[in-house]
Amino acid sequence: MPMRSKEIHSHQDYHALNAMLNLYDDNGCIQFEKDKEAVRQYFLEHVNQNTVFFHNLKEKLGYLVEENYYEKEVLDLYEFSFIKKLFQRAYSYKFRFPTFLGAFKYYTSYTLKTRDGKRYLERYEDRITLVALTLAQGDKHLATSIVDEIIRGCFQPATPTFLNAGKKQRGELISCFLLRVEDNMESIGRSINSALQLSKRGGGVALCLTNVRELGAPIKNFENQSSGVVPVMKLLEDAFSYANQLGARQGAGAVYLHAHHPDIMRFLDTKRENADEKIRIKTLSLGVVIPDITFELARNNEEMYLFSPYDIERVTGKSMSDFSISEHYRSFVDNSAIAKKKVNTRSFFQTLAEIQFESGYPYILFEDTANRSNPISGYINMSNLCSEILQVNTASTFESDLSYNRLGMDISCNLGSLNIAKAMDSSNFSASVETAVRALTSISDMSQITSVPSIAKGNDESHAIGLGQMNLHGFLAREKIHYGSPESIDFTNMYFYTVTYHVLSVSNRIAKERCRTFLGFEDSSYADGSYFRKYTDKCWEPAFKKVAALFFRRNITIPTQEDWLLLQKSVVEYGLYNRNLQAIPPTGSISYINHATASIHPVVSRIEIRKEGKIGRVYYPAPYMTNDNLEYYLDAYQIGPEKIIDIYAAATEHVDQGLSLTLFFNDTANTRDINRAQIYAWKKGIKTIYYIRVRQAALEGTEVDSCVSCSL
Amino acid sequence: MQSADNVLDPLIAVNWNRIEDEKDLEVWNRLTANFWLPEKVPLSNDIPSWSTLTRDEQILTIRVFTGLTLLDTVQNTVGAISLLKDAETQHEEAVLTNIAFMEAVHARSYSSIFSTLCLTPDVDEAYLWSLENEYLQKKAACVVNQYKNDNPLAKKIASVFLESFLFYSGFYLPIYWSSRAKLTNTADLIRLIIRDEAIHGYYIGYKFQKALKKRTEAEKLFLKNFASSLLFDLYEVECKYTESLYDRVGLTEDVKMYMHYNANKALMNLGYESMFPKEICVVNPVILSSLSPTSDENHDFFSGSGSSYIIGKKVATKNEDWV
Repeated sequence: MPMRSKEIHSHQDYHALNAMLNLYDDNGCIQFEKDKEAVRQYFLEHVNQNTVFFHNLKEKLGYLVEENYYEKEVLDLYEFSFIKKLFQRAYSYKFRFPTFLGAFKYYTSYTLKTRDGKRYLERYEDRITLVALTLAQGDKHLATSIVDEIIRGCFQPATPTFLNAGKKQRGELISCFLLRVEDNMESIGRSINSALQLSKRGGGVALCLTNVRELGAPIKNFENQSSGVVPVMKLLEDAFSYANQLGARQGAGAVYLHAHHPDIMRFLDTKRENADEKIRIKTLSLGVVIPDITFELARNNEEMYLFSPYDIERVTGKSMSDFSISEHYRSFVDNSAIAKKKVNTRSFFQTLAEIQFESGYPYILFEDTANRSNPISGYINMSNLCSEILQVNTASTFESDLSYNRLGMDISCNLGSLNIAKAMDSSNFSASVETAVRALTSISDMSQITSVPSIAKGNDESHAIGLGQMNLHGFLAREKIHYGSPESIDFTNMYFYTVTYHVLSVSNRIAKERCRTFLGFEDSSYADGSYFRKYTDKCWEPAFKKVAALFFRRNITIPTQEDWLLLQKSVVEYGLYNRNLQAIPPTGSISYINHATASIHPVVSRIEIRKEGKIGRVYYPAPYMTNDNLEYYLDAYQIGPEKIIDIYAAATEHVDQGLSLTLFFNDTANTRDINRAQIYAWKKGIKTIYYIRVRQAALEGTEVDSCVSCSL
Repeated sequence: MQSADNVLDPLIAVNWNRIEDEKDLEVWNRLTANFWLPEKVPLSNDIPSWSTLTRDEQILTIRVFTGLTLLDTVQNTVGAISLLKDAETQHEEAVLTNIAFMEAVHARSYSSIFSTLCLTPDVDEAYLWSLENEYLQKKAACVVNQYKNDNPLAKKIASVFLESFLFYSGFYLPIYWSSRAKLTNTADLIRLIIRDEAIHGYYIGYKFQKALKKRTEAEKLFLKNFASSLLFDLYEVECKYTESLYDRVGLTEDVKMYMHYNANKALMNLGYESMFPKEICVVNPVILSSLSPTSDENHDFFSGSGSSYIIGKKVATKNEDWV
């Protein structure tokens, strides 16, 4: 046991100091200073002693390039004097990690290490500079802006980008992939291969199984032959556990199925606590696509028909996933050529809630809501592993040797998030947004996922990006606004309104510079200007003085109707470079490094317990929290689903893709409460629901005294 | 409850709509909501991490789990069953059978860990070790003897000591590993077991305190003395057991602090005051912070299932929900 002598015998080791954050002191105060001490100890005892020393930058970069740690091509785009200045600039900020988890996570999972994994070759400043040099592709001004925005904590690229950029041996910069699966063996086989390839490169992969024929469907006209979607799920689950990215993290995957697919109940039962091993799904994430009609049927207490995707395709010539089931429901019901069965609609919803209680799954995509607000021509039939990506796709067809007969378009998305508090503190708000959008656009330009041609094609034609947001709760608490209050909803509305204006402006500017738009721009509602009507026809202003002051005090101008009219004109004329622009991811790891609250959620606990394979169990304090402002840090379970949905609904209004929305319940909740929250979310125009989390309070008499995260 | 030899007594069906002790229902509900099986936890994710342990650390881990298996076996086949005939209500009987069953699940879980992580010869060696380790055998025998005691309250005392004290020298290790980012999924499983044991110890302690109120002062004094002398005996064995396990990795002192803490908890469950002073109950904060039986940790889909989710209460939606 190598660590023993130093770490165990002294109670002041950094893990112990960090754990004290979760224990009150004798006066009942949270011991924030212990976490600061933990960071200090971590650097003194561990990081500094294990960092490789170089005499100067030239020696360091020379070594790292020669030893194939850094990509020579990235550095060759700049003269050395600029590179040196950029490193100096990064170091001049005198960055210190504000939390132990931030530092620990960074050094455990992101920084460049020697090949034996034992010594560190980079500090935080080095990683940021390399990311900037990589993404700027020779543009010095952009490189400088990226360094500034990341080290200030205003912009944080998603994990795959931040982890991989500039490294010679690395995974992809893009994090997230979505694949269609069609109803034939070639497509299923190709999907498994793609799942392996993409996992190997560090991506999370979601697959849409809606088109796969159901259990008992005919094969080559022989009845009762198909074994349905569950065995395909099993194959995928094994594929994902097999593949991992140089051991950096395990593969992870999700499968989506339409609520009106005949296998839907079997699909859900795979997550049951007592499911048979043969069908039990442990690590694969599930998502269900629910159209408006299902809610309508539940309201009328009618049964819901499930339709054979095999027959739908045979009869209409189109895949089930390319239909709005709501629109065609009645005609499918009346069509005797389509095999169907019935289930009780309310029982379906109740089962959904039961499984969510037991497993947190499935995610939900409200199909019609997502498509109604989609400015792009085409159909959204699935989401991704974090339920924030909502883009259109087209099917591929295959030869029997698995080569492509017709290359369709699948979806990828590269993400990065703004820290709302830091963005609001920015001296130039629009420039901060511009840097973020240009950095993300670069990732799309640079990425060539050749192992999955349909993804490569989708990326090349769409340049889709997903600018996210985090630290909403941290910002609100700092400004003494309660999460979920009318002021907080007003702020969320105006913030996303303002960001949306700038994001579109930047994409329009890039299109103008490059004289190029995304494929299908002319069929989008951006092209005919109709997208902009909701902004040009009506004036958007803060309803509360306090909220207006948040913007005014920082000289952030809220776009006016005139601004939108000008933007509309320019977009109609020059187009947009990126087909998709915003998506609000759950921001796990990166919000710890950045010291933000995750996404636009409330905190899950004042002191969060974070558990991961690579880091073990670590404690994390909410940003800007002190022993004096605890009242603004009610947690997600205390705040409850309705207020969270209200905040998300305000943001959803402006975001072209989705927002990862987790709903939190105490264990006093039952399935009806979950169903009611889902109905409320659907009515409020929410596009997707991510996890359901249930917190079980300790039985009275069995709690651990003085534990911060147990006290409610 | 009723004497078995009197054949004329009618058998009474348990009626959960007539509750004599609310605690029975509360605990029953909690235990059933907490139901789990080891298959829920993706233990195989720990295989890479298992191989980073040194040989000594692996042997220690297997032995610790074998020791826990033995205690769970005792509790499943002897302990909970022996408490059954002292039950005051039929609902208490039902709760105790649930406890007995979950102890079997716990014992079963360690085998799942073994079959996932270890090689058969290593496991066989550990089972052999558990037969031969005199301290382990002694502490198990000490409790089993009390289960044969005619005094129902003495049995309860022994049971609480097992549930709230004796297990924890074993639980220490997986929690310690998980704070070092090792065997984190195994730790999830152990945390599920701790979640159960916390309730078992609490419930049996509660029943003890309730029954104690009806006893005479002399009996009360007798039981108090009995409890402290039993705890003292067990403590002595437990210290030696801990040394035999943890000395070679240098964790003994830390584990002992944790033992004192739990001994006090066990006494608290019985309604007695603490025996070990605060200074020798300074539990490593890493361990203490991990103990919370609430399920509020946050994790992502790249890392295990966590110990959170529970079986929910089903309630059908009504018309007004859909309008």
